[in-house]
Parts: sequence; C-alpha cells; structure tokens
Amino acid sequence: MKKLITLLLFALSINLCFAQKASIKGKVTDTLNKQNLNHAVVSLLYSRDSVLYKFTRSNESGVFDLKNVKAGKYLALVSYPSYADYYDTITLAENTEIDLGKVMLTTKIHLLSDVTVVQKIAAIRMRGDTIVYKADSFKLREGASVEDLLKKFPGIQVDKNGNITAQGTRVEKVMVDGEEFFGDDPTIATKNLNAKMVNEVQVFDKKSDQTTFTGIDDGQTKRTINLKLKDDAKKGWFGKVEIGAGPQDVWNNSLMANSFKKKRKFSAYGIASSTGKTGLNWDEKGKFGDGGNTDMQMNDDGGMYMSWGGGDNFDNSNYWGEGIPKSWSGGVNYTDKFNNDKQSLNGSYRYSKIINNGGGKTISQSILPDTLFFNNEKRNVYGNKDRHAINSSYDWMVDSFFSAKFTVAGTKGTINGTSNYYSEALNANNQFVNKSKRSNTSNGDNQSFKSSLLLRKRFKKIGRTISLSIDQSWNESNTDGLLYSVNDYFNKLGINNRSDTTDQKKINGSNNKSINSRLSYTEQLAKNTTLEVTYGINLNQYENKVLSYDKSQPEKYDLLNTKYSNDYDFKIFTNRVGSTIRFNPKKLNVSLGGDIAFANFSQKDLIKDSTSKYTYTNLFPRANFTYKFNANKRLNINYNGSTRQPSIQQIQPVSDNTNPLYVQVGNAFLKQEFNHRFGLSFNNYQVLKNRGYYANINYGFTEKAIRSNQTTDSVGKTISQYINANGNYNYRSSISYNAKLQKIDASIYVQYSYNHNNDIGFVNGLKNITKNNSQSLYININKEKEKVYNLQLGSNLSYNMSNSSIRPDITTNYWSANFNVELNIQLPWKLELNNEIEMEIRQKTSFFTGNNNVTVWNGFLAKKFLKNDKGQLRLSAFDILNQNRGYSRNINSTTITENTYQQLAQYFMLSFVWNFSKGGAALK
Amino acid sequence: MKNLFPIIFVLFLLATLKPQAQQVFIAKGKIEFEKQTNMHKEIDDSWGADDDNIWKQNYKKILPKIQTTYFDLFFNEEKTLYKVGRDAPQGLQKVPEWMMDRTTDNIIYNDLKLNQTTSQKNVFESNFLIVDSLRKIDWRITSDTRTIAGIECRKAIGKIMDSVYVIAFYADIIENSGGPESFTGLPGMILGIAVPRLNTTWFATKVELVEIKETDLAIPKKGKKSNYAELQQQLKKSTKDWGKNAERSIWKMMI
Repeated sequence: MKKLITLLLFALSINLCFAQKASIKGKVTDTLNKQNLNHAVVSLLYSRDSVLYKFTRSNESGVFDLKNVKAGKYLALVSYPSYADYYDTITLAENTEIDLGKVMLTTKIHLLSDVTVVQKIAAIRMRGDTIVYKADSFKLREGASVEDLLKKFPGIQVDKNGNITAQGTRVEKVMVDGEEFFGDDPTIATKNLNAKMVNEVQVFDKKSDQTTFTGIDDGQTKRTINLKLKDDAKKGWFGKVEIGAGPQDVWNNSLMANSFKKKRKFSAYGIASSTGKTGLNWDEKGKFGDGGNTDMQMNDDGGMYMSWGGGDNFDNSNYWGEGIPKSWSGGVNYTDKFNNDKQSLNGSYRYSKIINNGGGKTISQSILPDTLFFNNEKRNVYGNKDRHAINSSYDWMVDSFFSAKFTVAGTKGTINGTSNYYSEALNANNQFVNKSKRSNTSNGDNQSFKSSLLLRKRFKKIGRTISLSIDQSWNESNTDGLLYSVNDYFNKLGINNRSDTTDQKKINGSNNKSINSRLSYTEQLAKNTTLEVTYGINLNQYENKVLSYDKSQPEKYDLLNTKYSNDYDFKIFTNRVGSTIRFNPKKLNVSLGGDIAFANFSQKDLIKDSTSKYTYTNLFPRANFTYKFNANKRLNINYNGSTRQPSIQQIQPVSDNTNPLYVQVGNAFLKQEFNHRFGLSFNNYQVLKNRGYYANINYGFTEKAIRSNQTTDSVGKTISQYINANGNYNYRSSISYNAKLQKIDASIYVQYSYNHNNDIGFVNGLKNITKNNSQSLYININKEKEKVYNLQLGSNLSYNMSNSSIRPDITTNYWSANFNVELNIQLPWKLELNNEIEMEIRQKTSFFTGNNNVTVWNGFLAKKFLKNDKGQLRLSAFDILNQNRGYSRNINSTTITENTYQQLAQYFMLSFVWNFSKGGAALK
Repeated sequence: MKNLFPIIFVLFLLATLKPQAQQVFIAKGKIEFEKQTNMHKEIDDSWGADDDNIWKQNYKKILPKIQTTYFDLFFNEEKTLYKVGRDAPQGLQKVPEWMMDRTTDNIIYNDLKLNQTTSQKNVFESNFLIVDSLRKIDWRITSDTRTIAGIECRKAIGKIMDSVYVIAFYADIIENSGGPESFTGLPGMILGIAVPRLNTTWFATKVELVEIKETDLAIPKKGKKSNYAELQQQLKKSTKDWGKNAERSIWKMMI
C-alpha cells in the first residue's frame, strides 16, 4: 500500500493588488539532502474526479509556477521518480496567487501491511509458486463482485480505491483466464465480473513477457492475480418448433432442440415437409447439426474457405430439380471438447427419406448437314429413396506445432423408382421417323464408408511444415430392374416398316474402393520465398456390372443376353508429384509450379475374360501473379494447364440398350486432351466513396479436345463416338460496378458480361463449328431502411446467338429477360409483410414456339408475439398466380433442347413458429 | 546487442542514481512500441457472443490469437514522430489480410509545444494528412504504478471519442508529454496504452537514449489535407450501412 505524506494544511492568503487569474507557485526540495529538485512534475487535478487539469515541471532551482488557473477546487500532485508523491487539496478563488512554499519530498518507504493468515486448508493450496484460492469455499452475499471475494481471502487486502495487495506485495496485474484484464473500463467490468463466475483465484509472480518469449530470465516479475472462471456458467437449452399446414396436402413441420452444458452439446431435430424442405439450412446447421464436421483453411492470399462434409441431395436444405417432393428427415448430434479445448469429439446420426413425383417434356432439334430431326419426349417419373448416415470426427491439437484430425462416415440407403417415357422423332417434313415407348422399374440399395486422417506438423523454423492426408472410401450399389420398350421405325413415306420390343431384367452393380494419400512439405527458402513439394499416391478400384436377362417364359427372366451384358473390373493407380515456389512480399504474390501424374489403367472384362491396359502421363502446370495496390485494389493474372486422359467409357464403352435409338461405340485411338486457361482480373473497391468496380476475362483453349462424333441414320438412330478435335476455345468476360446513389440513398449494382464459345464437333463425319455468343446486362437496386422496409429490384437481360457451320442457314437468336422485385415491410403491431415477384420472359423462335413466360409471386404476412418476439404466426402463399414450372434451354454443336418440367406449384400455408430457450446467459 | 545497451544504460542510471538527490531525466531518444491485438476477441466482438456460430469457431481455430506489430517513436523535448518499426517475427499462423493491422502505413507527428498534430493516415483506399490541434483527452490520474521497459510509469485513465476508455501508463522521467498514436497530454511520456474496447495494447519494449536528428522528426507531407472532425464525418458517411461494426471501424481509424 502506497503511503502518502501527511497532508499539510494551508491558510489561503488573498492578495488583492495582484493578477487577474489565479496562479500557484512553489519550490520542490528533498527532505533528506535539502536539495532543490529539478524536473519534478507538478500536476493540478480536479478534486471531484482526479482528472488532470494542468501540469508543469520545476526548474533548476526547484521552482515552479502554474499561471492562468481557473478558480475551483483542486488536488495538487507533486511527483518525482523514486520519491513518494506529495498531495494537497487547494481551493482557488479568482485573482488569487497561492504560494505552496517549500514542497518537501521523501524517498519511498515501503510499508508492509499486516498479514493475517487464517488457516483454511481446503480453500488455499500451493501449486508450485502459485497460491490458489478456491472461490466456492468463501461465503458471499448474492451478487457480490470479485472485489468482495478477494477481500475474504487471507493474505489479500483491497483498499477503498480498489488497489490489491497480496502477501504484502502490490498486485500489478489482474488477469482473467490467463489474459490481462484492464478493469478500469466500466463497460468491460459490467460485462464480465461477478464473483459467482469465478472458480479459483491464483496469485503468483509473473515473469516478464520477454522472459516468457526468449526463455532468458531477466529477473523482472510482477505480482499477478489470475481469475479462473467457471466452465459451467454455460448451461441450458434452446430450440425451435414450426408447425405449418395448408389445403391440398400441404405441410411443413419441424422440431429442433439443443442442450448444452460446459463444452458439451447435444442436439436433435426432425423435419416433415411437402414444400421442399429436406434438411437443416445454413443457420440451423450451426445450431442443431453437426457443426464439428467442417474444416476451415486459409489460402496463400489470406482468404478463408470452409468445407462441409457430405454434398448430395440429402445434404441440401431445400429440394431442387424436377418433381414435387415429400420429405422426412431427422437426426441427433453430439459434440464435446476436452483438455482445454485441445481435443474435440463429434458424432451424428441422420435419417432422410424423399418421395418424389414428377414429369416433364423435352423437345429438341438435331441439326444434320442435309436434314433436320425433331425429337419430342414426354416422361413420368416416380422415385422413393431413403438413407441412414453416421458421421464422427475427432480433433486433437497435440500442441501448437502438431495437430491431428480423424473422421469416419458411413451411409446405407435404398432407391426405388419407376419411369415411363414416350418419345418420337420427326424429320424436316414433319413425318415420323421413329416412335418409342419405354418403361423402367428399379429397386436398389447402396452403402458407403469413408474415413480420413489428416496430420499437420509445423516446425520451429518459420515456414517449415509437413502435412499428410490419407482418405479411404468404399461404396457399393446394387439395382434390380425391368426394362420394357417398344420401338416403331418408319420409312421415307412415313409408313411403319419395322418394330422391335425389348423386355429384359437388368441387374446392375457397382463397387468402388479407393485410397488417396498426399504428403506435402513446405520450406522457407528466403524471406518471402517458400517452396512446397507434394507427393501423392491414389489407388482406385471399381467393378461395374450390367446383366441383362431375357424372358424364357412369362415372369421368368433367366436367359443371359451377352450382347447387352457386361462385367468389368477397373484398376487405376496414380503417382503424382508436384512442386510450387511462391514469392510473397508485401504487395505481391507470385507463384509458379506444377504437378506430374503417372496413371496406370487396367480394364478387365470379366465376361469375356480379357484385359486392356493403358498408361498416361498427365501434366498440370500453373502460374499466378497478384499485385495488391492496397487492401481493396488488386490485379491478378493466372494460368492453369491440365491434361485429361479419355475415360475408359470413351475408349471402350459398355454396350447398353437402355435407349435403343442412341448407341455409343468406342475409340481405341483416343488421345489425351490438353486444356489451357488464362485469367485476368482487376478489382477495386473504394470504401470511403462507397463504390467498386471489377473486371475479368478468362480465355481457354483445348488441344486435341475429346468431342463426340455423331452419325444419325435415316431412321433417326444415332451412333456416337468420341474423337480428338483441335480448334476448341472459349472466353468469358464481365465488368461490374457497384455504388451508393447518394441522392436516393440506395445501392446499385450493374454487370455486363459477354461469353463466346467455339466448339468443334463432327456430325455424320463432317466437321461442324458451332459458335455461340451470349451477352447479358444485370442491374440490381437495393434500398433499405432498417427495421422499416427493404426493397430490391433486379433485372437481367440477355441475348443469345448461335449458329453451326454445317447449317449456316439455321441460326438460333433469342432474347430472354428476368425481372424480380422483393419488398419486405415491417408494419405496426409487430406485423411483417413480404413479397417476392419473379418474372421470366423468353422470346419465341422458329423452334421455341411455346409460350414460356412465367411469373412467380410468393408472399407472407407474419405476426410476432410472446416475450422477446419468440413466437411467430405466419400466413404464406407460394406461386399465387399458379404459373411455376421448371424450364431450361440448351444449345450445343448439333442439338437445341428445351426442357420443361413439373415443380412445386401454388400452395397456401398457415404456420406457427416458437423459439424457446432456458439458461445459458450467465457469462454474457 | 546494440539495442540492449541503452536499456542497460537506463537501468544502470536508475540503479546507481537512486539514492542520490538528482535524478537523470530523458530529453530525447527512441522508444519501440509493441502493439498487440487479440484477434479472437475481435472475432467475438464483430460476430457477437453466440458460440454456436460455426464460422466463428472455425476462424478461431486457424487465427493466431495475438497479432503483433512494432512501431518506433522518436522524440526530443517537444516533438514526437511515430511510425512503423521492425517486422514482427512471423508467427506459426498467418494473419489473413482482412484482419491485418491497417495502421502500419501511418506516420504521426506531434508538436507538443505548439499543440499541433500532422498525421499521415491510411484510411481504406486513401491517404489523409490530418492537420489539427492535439486530441484533448481528460486524463484521470491514479496513484497506481507499473514498470514498463524498466521505467516506472503512473496509470491514468482517459476517454476518447465520447465513449472509448483508454488506460495509459506514463513515465515522468521522460519530459516529453507525448505518446503513441494520438495519445498525449500527460506529464510524461506514455509508455503503455490499453484500449479494451479495441482489444489492443501498445507497450514500450525498450527506450533507447539515441541522438535524434532533424530527419527523424520529419513532418509527413503526403495525403489529402483534412482534420479529425472532417475525417470522422467522412467515415461516418462511408460506414453508414455497416451496422454495429461501423463504430469500431471508425475508432480504429481515428485513434
């Protein structure tokens, strides 16, 4: 405890014939040596709050003079290094001069406070050099502060100013959970410290940071108190219930809950929906899903990316694609952390089931050198699939240099389905070429198991790291099915001259096993220069079988049809070595490198008992250059090259009669293709001006591109074979601009893009160059007034031009436009009104003659109620105008296709949402 | 070794001169400041305290807890110049660019006698030259002390920009009443600053008694001329839509 010199009392003398404002003067001397002290600090503090008003220093003779002092009550503080402080209270009237006379300072005397040691064995322990007090051993009133707690501890004194003395030494540092705590900021103090939250109080002499860092003890220590907080201040549960229903079989119900205690978390959920909700969304995944099954990485540029486990239809939160789904899903998840969060364990189980009914229509135009074909297809599809999935991961940060992560995942599921097709092909004169009716049924099951191990090791030497990853996977699927198709062929006069029927049982099976491993080593060669060397081995083995059986008698399929049956075993063994050198000074990031992969393929025909072998050497060169003008302005140029070997299907396809009008043949002379991609991008965002622009162009070309060569005969049967073609290239470019329109206080985003594709293919043996140009202009305006409304207006106009060299007379040019409006208004009485309108307009062409303009309007009206708006009642309407349907247009070298299909259509629903929670706020 | 000598020299002076009446005061020299920001707490403050946020959890896993940068403060009796110092030794984990200390391009020149600052500040894409009077801070003086870089300092508590608390430790052994960034106005040099709301501290690691040349205290000249009020106005306008993080961003730029 700092002892102050006894205050001297002064009689105030008023000098009437002197000065306009008050002043204070005096002389600082030393009590012992009677010397005048030069440079002593003389401060005037406001007596009400100790805030500094003025200060000066004494001159060589120890004299000081503070002039122009306002009238008021002050505290004079005179200090000098290694001397005790001198304090005095002064009241100044206007126009006065106070002479403090001789201010005598004394060198510091340390007075040890009396230490009363009360024995409380259980409550106080010595741990090395540290004294540990167990907070719970001391009785405290409700709501007591940490200061009250400290006062109870034997050997610790707290004075009225809050200064703490422990075992006679002044405490210089207070830490909370090992971090320094500057408790003077009231916002921090109120945020954190309540005696109830403290588990134990540790008192020790902290070595200086320099010592901690270098390991060389510089002898400087500070008496420190560390408050260790309780873990279980965090305990409770929260969740969400949603019940929704509407006329015509519309329902959307869910229940999600999470209970947590310390670091342990247990969550469960269940969802049943006929409106396309198939799983947890992004936000829900974090709270109720297996959040542990994520991995975040930082790239060379400091950008972050996070990867999630899984990724098929079951892992999405909403159904997309064809059909109207009904879905059920549920799961449980457990996570816990141990050993100061160094180890964490996560496990989860999920079950999902989706029943889907759909149908659609595809029309297409095939362009041939001398003629045209039109194909129309109608289909009805029913599917029923389900899956059980388990995931588990274990993370271990062994120390700050070494970490390990191990994950396992398994699934088991079934897929059953039936589909019916009707298709017809017509020639340029609108006469039938062929007609086909086809129905498939299939029942299948599948299972998979995956595991991976990731080890990362860093070394003391900066930039040196080793990491090893090993991924194993196995999956198997088996399907039993029936194929029944009737095909009619017509001659040039439009007369049915031939028919055939297929009635077969199909047994499909696939079994895939793989092990991928990668070892990476990095080393800093010089300042800002690092080298990475990688080596990987991949082993992949899979068996694919399709067995077709013809009927020997009704309902008995037992004659193996070898023409349409196959059973292959593939093995791929790849060695991959790579190296990258990176130069990364402050404003620049340059890297250069590449990989070489040696791949050995073997294909074994298990029916014919023959084996084919292929070997390929693939190259992956790459280069990147980034210049950072400042944090928000940069230029990037990059190149990526890759060779790609033909797939075995392209070299030696498995014969398949699923669609008898489309047959694929192999090409044993197929070569690797070499892809080259160049990119250039520039972006500049000006934060102060609230605007930014971005431009990029990507150009790619492919040497010996693997492309299909299609031959269509007079009856509309297509034979397709892959061959190598040169001259394929494409480029994509876009520029965009975003800004804040100050006048109307809205943000605007404008983007123009231009894409070009030059595609070489072969049609009936003739080279065909298809050129496709598309350009689009996108404009979006957003105006928002927080808690009042949010308005978004968007429009996208695009123009498509396409032609092919074999038929220059046929061009496909069309406009399409998309407009959308989104308006959310917060109304009084906690009402919220939301409207979304999306309008699609597509120009008709000589081929696309149907009306495909669609306007989809969705909206909801919601009312919040209960405490903290935890309850919500919502009336929602989907597709109010009842126009929604799936649509796509696709143009490639020889065909133009339009696909329309069934999707979720108009519905109305009333739902109730309730968010519940209990506890967990103790620390916040 | 070269840098260690002045510390030893100061310690020597402190040790040997203590019993004598006359203390040696420091009129000029160079101070190295270590600026440390707790990035895990920064993540908490900008994402909210909700621990279930997966992004937050993952960020904390790959972010180093502390980001360190070094600054040098050159001073004579009445002037200070504060600018970036040596590179921090590269830690085990990299600091992503969007979290990097943006003040390393700043040069702060303060004239304590004329009560004037000339600060070259890098604010997002622009360079500003702030010419203004020194920031007025009401410092509450306490009797607490703490030793920083071997020098005893007294603690003072101040408030800037109406609501941001600042804890400063100043050494009256140094007569200049300046400090790092815009912190000045105490009866001695500020050798330590903590701003809990920004999870940041500045602490002197060494005080070197070196000769200060005119060129060490060269007034910065680059940047668009402005003053504190104008810059704050501009920042308020530019970060209008940033929600609760706007305020913190402004504090960081204005400090």
